Amino acid sequence: MTVSLPESGAPLKHYVSTAPFDPYSVEAMTAGQAKIFQASQTRLMWWKFKKHRIALVSGIFLLALYLAIVVAEFLAPYNLHTRNMDFIHSPPQRVHLFHEGQLVGPFVYGRQMTLDMDTLRRIYTDNRNDVQRLRFFCAGDPYRFWGIWESNFHLVCPARDGQMFLLGTDRLGRDVLSRIIYGARISLTIGLIGIAVSFTLGIVIGGIAGYHGGYIDLAVQRVIEVLQSIPSIPLWLALAAIMPVSWSPILVYLGITVILGLLDWTGLARAVRSKLLALREEDYVLAAQLMGASTSRIIGRHLVPGFMSHLIASATITIPGMILGETALSFLGLGLRPPITSWGILLTEARSVSVIAFYPWLLFPMIPVILVILAFNFLGDGLRDAADPYK
Amino acid sequence: MITRRTVLGLMAAACLPAPVARAALREPEFLKTKLADGSLPPMAERIPKVPRVVNLAATGRSPGQYGGSVRMIIGGQKDIRLMTINGYARLIGIDEHLALQPDILESFEQVENRVYTLRLREGHRWSDGYPFTVDDFVYYWYDVLNNKEMRPRGLPLDLLSDGKPPRFEVVDRLTVRYSWDVPNPDFLQRLASPQPLTLALPAHYMKQFHPKYADPEKLKKLVEKEGTDDWTGLHINRSRTYRPENPDLPTLDPWRNLTAPPAEQFIFERNPYFHRVDETGQQLPYIDRVLLNVSSSGIIPAKAGAGEADIQSYGLDFEDYTFLKDAEQRYPVQVRLWERIQASRIALLPNLNCGDKVWRDLFHDVRFRRALSVAINRQEINKASFFGLARESADTVLPESPLFKAEYQHAWAQFDPELANRLLDEAGLTWNKQEEMRILPDGREAALIVESAGESTLETDVLELVTDHWQQIGLKLHVRTSQRDVFRSRALGGEIMISVQQGIDNGIPTADMSPAALAPTGDDQLQWPVWGLHYLSAEQKGEAPDLPEARRLVELMKQWKQSTSTPEREAIWTEMLSIYTDQVFSIGIVNGTLQPVVTARNMKNVPDRGLYGYDPTAFMGVYLPDTFWLDGSG
Repeated sequence: MTVSLPESGAPLKHYVSTAPFDPYSVEAMTAGQAKIFQASQTRLMWWKFKKHRIALVSGIFLLALYLAIVVAEFLAPYNLHTRNMDFIHSPPQRVHLFHEGQLVGPFVYGRQMTLDMDTLRRIYTDNRNDVQRLRFFCAGDPYRFWGIWESNFHLVCPARDGQMFLLGTDRLGRDVLSRIIYGARISLTIGLIGIAVSFTLGIVIGGIAGYHGGYIDLAVQRVIEVLQSIPSIPLWLALAAIMPVSWSPILVYLGITVILGLLDWTGLARAVRSKLLALREEDYVLAAQLMGASTSRIIGRHLVPGFMSHLIASATITIPGMILGETALSFLGLGLRPPITSWGILLTEARSVSVIAFYPWLLFPMIPVILVILAFNFLGDGLRDAADPYK
Repeated sequence: MITRRTVLGLMAAACLPAPVARAALREPEFLKTKLADGSLPPMAERIPKVPRVVNLAATGRSPGQYGGSVRMIIGGQKDIRLMTINGYARLIGIDEHLALQPDILESFEQVENRVYTLRLREGHRWSDGYPFTVDDFVYYWYDVLNNKEMRPRGLPLDLLSDGKPPRFEVVDRLTVRYSWDVPNPDFLQRLASPQPLTLALPAHYMKQFHPKYADPEKLKKLVEKEGTDDWTGLHINRSRTYRPENPDLPTLDPWRNLTAPPAEQFIFERNPYFHRVDETGQQLPYIDRVLLNVSSSGIIPAKAGAGEADIQSYGLDFEDYTFLKDAEQRYPVQVRLWERIQASRIALLPNLNCGDKVWRDLFHDVRFRRALSVAINRQEINKASFFGLARESADTVLPESPLFKAEYQHAWAQFDPELANRLLDEAGLTWNKQEEMRILPDGREAALIVESAGESTLETDVLELVTDHWQQIGLKLHVRTSQRDVFRSRALGGEIMISVQQGIDNGIPTADMSPAALAPTGDDQLQWPVWGLHYLSAEQKGEAPDLPEARRLVELMKQWKQSTSTPEREAIWTEMLSIYTDQVFSIGIVNGTLQPVVTARNMKNVPDRGLYGYDPTAFMGVYLPDTFWLDGSG
């Protein structure tokens, strides 16, 4: 067989594969890879975040707490101010399931108080014959849900005419558990409101300073330096002292949050400013300017979202600082005042030497404080890692 | 004229047993070296010829042995005054039954409460061994009290009667006499009070600071060194007797200070020339040294409970008792409960000089004050904070006082919210639309602001309970905490509505003690500071009371000042007490609360029950801590 050249002008013979051709086949991705490749920023962050186990657990824990404070009245077995004069300084009661080998469901033993007139102590003994079954979804202390609706519906209540002090009672016979639950409402939200204030201030002031630069930046920087140089505790004290005593506790509470927020924005403003100083040189900013966008739109729409994740992470880390700030202020007797009850207030009431010696359960509010602070720190840690998912 | 008191004074002097058995006197080990080297004479020469004999067996106590140091914790340097208070060496002192006794004096006499003759003990010496004589009274009277530079505004008020100073005479080398034209019935009590009226200073020591006696050059140098403006400042600094800061100042107290402030520990050691002896003739005090350790008042209970105090009452409160009692098992301490003598452990004082016109009118309305009082559930407070061991009472005298009547205790102290509501309705306070709160005549909500010094959780707790009680009668209560120091000026300015503090200090008065606390007589009385200032300033400042009952109280107070006999004074006290309690000028809650007293377990002669308070019992003073002793075997 001879291979001859085609006639001149005729096309050369060639082979064309009929198999389908995918030009991207070398870059082919698995389904999983494609999902990652096409995933949105949020989704990526979520994936990254999910890998941070502790952060995830912390997040769920905090979420649960925040859900709980919405329905604090329902969860707490007693009201915030319900006093039980026959059960002053009663130690925590244990929940039992079995009575004399028989399953009776969760119950507590009734208690008897005897006064030891020699040492002046109240001594509580369980009465083994008095089985007080706990009731669930039951009618207990009447309350006003969110101060609006009358109700007496509780998750769990003591037996009728019985008691249930799972974390003991304080010196006026108030249930410590219920007070911790009500206190959470104040202590947990104070951080959120405070952070909202400091966020707004930080972004607006830091944004303006960073975007405009020049004299504005200079002025803002000096103000921030002055504010940061003031020792914080005395400043808190001064601000807390000027709040009129006749303010209702709710107003005082708002005032404290605003004070905490007002003092906290400087660090955030600095972060925002330094980011903006870099970002404002980007082409897309120039494009936006050429298209006639206003300053606030450029900052708010184009610049801030670029590092929002970072801001969220830093905010999460700031919240525990605020919670501790409130606790410290209240502990010093300058923050919230009874009848408003926060964890700080509860701890203030537990600082005498006899509490530590005889009524250690009054220190229980420390546990939620520690847990919440840790959870926020872990969560912030996870969020910060997640904020940069490509790393 | 010879009054009961004269007789008592003479009797006390006459009862003194003849100084026998002097030969067998044992000297304290502590003084051995000084005795050996001859710098101290033997005991018989150190005590006055006629010492004050404390008959221990008569009060169920026993003569003890010398030795030992005891520790006490104080909240700050100024608390070294506790040694002067507890030492309770006074010209005249009261005993456990509130009767006046000559102490530093050998005897005293009085005529019509105008002429007081004070007789010193022969051979009595200051703690440095220099004789204590009428010269010390002369020096203080002429060179201090009547020195224009020292006292530009004249004599202290306590020495004036009807604005006039007394005549001072030296009767003989051991006797002085103070005489007024009009009665000055408070004079002896002022000498016996925890912060006494001073009549004498150690002239031989103080003269070096007085320009009349001192070398001008030397004095100038001393003033410069002290850093005061002139010699008066130096003289005052060096002569503080109530707060014995000057270790060089000779004293008549049982223990003398060895440490100049500032210091972390103050050491007091026995005054070798102290004038009291026990029935065996042994000189008091038994205990050699008292060590005062400076700490902060907040941790005194914790430290006392950790066995760091051998004698401690100051800084402890009823709520610490359980803790301290528990410490008995771990440390060699013993806790006793004494009864506090305040007329009310906690009282609410509505400010009748409040700046807000509407509130002032309400506070002036006795129905409003009574309503506030009967709305309080005292039983609940007693149960919650005092184990039910306190006495629910108005702010008035205790049963231990000879003036006590049950009607004072129960005056408007019952729990009766219905009555309270009726009284408020009558006073013109109507309910708001939701029937939750009362509104003032000018339309505002009836919200009371109570000022507290915020020093104790007890106040907070009681106020919390009172908040609830007053809620029942439609009154809101807010608590403001402010510094105790600014209380007086703010109250005077009318800025305080109601303050919360202790009730009347002396709940166990006798008719011979001044009833000043029941009438507007001082600007520190937070229920009527402006009226009090009026009286205090001899009607120059402040305003006259515009309530007839308050005016009557002032009138009675003035009558008491003119009175010359105990029955007369009793009648005045009775009327004042009944006006005060019936008008509810202060709202008492509970009194007779208990005070823990911690002592080392081997400390003897400490009474198991006692009355505890500042005025008149001078904390432990009337129980004579110089008679307490440490049992070596303990």
